[in-house]
Amino acid sequence: MIENLLLTINYGYFVWSSFLITIFACLLFFIKTRKTLRKYEKDFACEIEKLSQEDKNLVLANSKIANQVLVSQNKTA
Amino acid sequence: MFNLLSPSNIFSFIEKLIKFLNSIFFIILVVGLTFALILSPPDYLQGDVVRIMYVHVPSAWISLASYSLIAFLSILNFIFKIKNFYLINKSIAPIGLFFTCLAIVTGSLWGQPTWGTWWVWDARLTSIIVLMFFYIFYILSFKLIKDEKKSVNISSLIAIIGAINIPIIKYSVEWWNTLHQPASIKLVGSSSIHSSMLLPLMLMLLVLLIYSALIFLMKYKTEIIRIKKKNIKRL
Repeated sequence: MIENLLLTINYGYFVWSSFLITIFACLLFFIKTRKTLRKYEKDFACEIEKLSQEDKNLVLANSKIANQVLVSQNKTA
Repeated sequence: MFNLLSPSNIFSFIEKLIKFLNSIFFIILVVGLTFALILSPPDYLQGDVVRIMYVHVPSAWISLASYSLIAFLSILNFIFKIKNFYLINKSIAPIGLFFTCLAIVTGSLWGQPTWGTWWVWDARLTSIIVLMFFYIFYILSFKLIKDEKKSVNISSLIAIIGAINIPIIKYSVEWWNTLHQPASIKLVGSSSIHSSMLLPLMLMLLVLLIYSALIFLMKYKTEIIRIKKKNIKRL
């Protein structure tokens, strides 16, 4: 049980270290991945906004992805 | 069939899937951790140290499965030349490397109290290190080579050559005398693990698989956007 795990100092140290390292590393990796995705979405939306109205209409008409990214960026803005 | 796998067709599905996985992840994580740290019994020989298994073993399984998938898709990519497979592989590779490193670190933390050493150059541990290097070479091949066609060919070649290491890792504990214990769970034949330990192990595997799926979907989405951004710059 958990009390035993906390009391057995030497072994508990290894067990807790394993779980904490795993959770912490997973959290960092998740944050980094999400941050990169958000950055790419933002940059992509900016690129679309920079286009001339004609090109913008062309991109939005031909790309579902561009539409979705723009919508999600407008929601977060 | 391949049209269904096209980036534009699955892009909208990804967002919904990310939201769904996010919503169930924490519930399964709490259940998994409760079983792994509180409800599962200590081992008769190793005591509570056996709980490290619940993060070490799923990490090692995911690292092997990821590489096997990368190698398989690389072979398909060589034959059918489908760019989407390359994007999928590019998104899986960092996850595989991450879990390989995690398996090495948690394995080391398990090794010290049970074997009395952090590290030993036995067949299983050495072959896992080799896997880690294959992951690194694979990731570097598309980070460093700017010519995409060349990058696809070289990374696919690395993935296929590295696949030779997968059965070596799997059977290393049977082929050589190793400090690492043989597999307790077998797909074919009877497993030597008790159900009270198998359940938390499967729950933790599910937790890490959902986590991997989340990371994969985010990375895959990033790759699709990167390509779309490149196309816009050409206008």
